[in-house]
Amino acid sequence: MSQNPYQPINGEIVDIIDESPTIKTFVVVPEEKFKFETGQFVELTLPGEGEAPFTPSSPPGQTEKMEITIMEAGRVTALLHQCKKGQKVGIRGPFGNGYPIDDFVGKEIYIVGGGVGLAPIRSLFLTLVDRIKDFKSVVCRFGARTPDDFIYKNTLFGSWQKIAGVNMKLTVDEANGQWKDNVGVVTTILAPDDVKIKNAVVVVCGPPIMMKFTTLKLLEFGFVAKDIYLSMEKNMSCGIGKCGHCMIGKYYVCKDGPVFTYKQIKQYPDIWD
Amino acid sequence: MEAVFISKLKPLLDAVAEQMALYVPKKSGEYYVYSKYDPSANKSVEFNNIRTCTTVKEFIFAVCELAAVYPEPTGPEDIKPFAVFGLKDCDLRSIEILDKVFTEEEFQDVLYVKRRENMFIISSDCFDPSESCFCNIFDGRPYAQSGFDLNVSQVRAGFIIEAGSDKGKDFIEKHSQLFTEADQSLLDERDKNRAQTQKQLEQNNAELKFDATIKEIMENGQDSAVFDVEAEECVECQACTRICPTCHCFYLYDTRQKDYFTKMKMWDSCMRVGYAEVAGGANPHKILGDRIKHRLMHKFVYFLDRYGIDMCVGCGRCIETCAGGIDQRTILKKLSEEFKSKGKTKSKVAK
Ligand code: SF4
Ligand code: SF4
Ligand code: FES
Repeated sequence: MSQNPYQPINGEIVDIIDESPTIKTFVVVPEEKFKFETGQFVELTLPGEGEAPFTPSSPPGQTEKMEITIMEAGRVTALLHQCKKGQKVGIRGPFGNGYPIDDFVGKEIYIVGGGVGLAPIRSLFLTLVDRIKDFKSVVCRFGARTPDDFIYKNTLFGSWQKIAGVNMKLTVDEANGQWKDNVGVVTTILAPDDVKIKNAVVVVCGPPIMMKFTTLKLLEFGFVAKDIYLSMEKNMSCGIGKCGHCMIGKYYVCKDGPVFTYKQIKQYPDIWD
Repeated sequence: MEAVFISKLKPLLDAVAEQMALYVPKKSGEYYVYSKYDPSANKSVEFNNIRTCTTVKEFIFAVCELAAVYPEPTGPEDIKPFAVFGLKDCDLRSIEILDKVFTEEEFQDVLYVKRRENMFIISSDCFDPSESCFCNIFDGRPYAQSGFDLNVSQVRAGFIIEAGSDKGKDFIEKHSQLFTEADQSLLDERDKNRAQTQKQLEQNNAELKFDATIKEIMENGQDSAVFDVEAEECVECQACTRICPTCHCFYLYDTRQKDYFTKMKMWDSCMRVGYAEVAGGANPHKILGDRIKHRLMHKFVYFLDRYGIDMCVGCGRCIETCAGGIDQRTILKKLSEEFKSKGKTKSKVAK
């Protein structure tokens, strides 16, 4: 392939959805057909300002527009949050390895997510739901700081809960008046009999601290490291395994990840930092 | 193609410079740096006995360059043929290392590939290895082994020129009037020189012997205190990574021009504190000792695992440049000793 890997393709933000006080979803229409697999990431460029890595939250099957859910966290994301509809953007990618969905066929899929980690999970969830008969069940355990901090509230509190084959539980760290569900960090709603561990895979995505304690809990339940899929967030820049910014031990997160099994990376002590 | 002989360098370099831009080493203080060759200058050309200070990577992996223009893409910069004289075996092997990264089938760095295709490499033998040279540890030699178009070996009467590629052969054939046959006595003299320099290198590094591979030593030394101890001397200037011919970290940034935008690619350093920090503030390499460790693990373990070669050629530049006096060889030696004594304690326990 002799294309310039640093060249972004052009796109436009056609809609912006407020998800939570600090998170927005940007609906982006790329000028060219843009194919990706769920869990892969893209570099989104704000022209002249910089780029940052995001895993699209829309399913790959939805080809005409892509949704990218972004938390305001640094310089580029803060600028993106100020953007209006019609803003031109650049997109590079897709990069890395996504979720190996075909390996999940026939299994129970246990998805544990927190905060903005629900963004990649939404893409995965919608992809799984699209062919739900291929899987034994989809068991979701999601957490947020407060009920307001949940993203995708409309579907999360509504239609997603009613899909046959999906079992969903939610929790918040701090409740407010209307909240009827669990209060506590996400590990408080994980139970050893949520799924049959022998025939299940787990997907974990969220802030590093949440991923750490979730992984430890899962191991305690008896999950093996190769069945735990983690979506790693590192300081990706080039996306193509060259610039070195995203390294965890010998791995380039941008190329060998961002989805890893815990087995692959557990030898490196700094994965949660 | 047999080796040929030429008594002076100038006609050779003039012939190269007729065809393309040529860069040659020039003495600056006690070091050599590169400058463009000027055929009209009547000065005699310097033969660098040792590697230059600045590295060959600057010719193929620019300090800062235009990586892309958008929204309307423009084709990559037009790269014209160019030649570099005076590269040593360590430089050639550093090119091999960078090639692994930037010419990889999956994602090719277009500009890098173009520069490599247009580069004419004229290497030369070393005569005067520095105290810091330890290339022999990595199977380096004080003379080019492969990866050159032409190689120049200095002998008393002049220079032996040898082709290492088709491009080099063509050059010698096209300019046959410049050369005479290099007879056996000249070749013997060259081989003697080479053996002597090699011996000197080995003597310089006689102390640097390990009982295990560097990879094993590094892997076993991950909990060693040596990285934090060395970090106390480090002033975080990043010079070690900038001067290293194999270090290739970079970052991308965007600029706004009058009617277009650019994506720029610029050297970066894993020694920089914010290097691995994510937007949310998490940073796996906050601690300086961890960054030093990561740099060496990348060189001797991770790169080796991925590409099958060490990411260090033992050129010693990082040692000479370090304001803190940090010497990679000392770190390796300390780790090796710790490894040895660890091994001993283990076997004691086993008994
Ligand atoms: S050259 Fe020396 S002082 Fe400078 S960053 Fe490297 S190790 Fe530290
Ligand atoms: S690490 Fe030091 S000795 Fe090794 S190639 Fe780089 S500058 Fe040379
Ligand atoms: S983002 Fe550049 S190597 Fe991974």
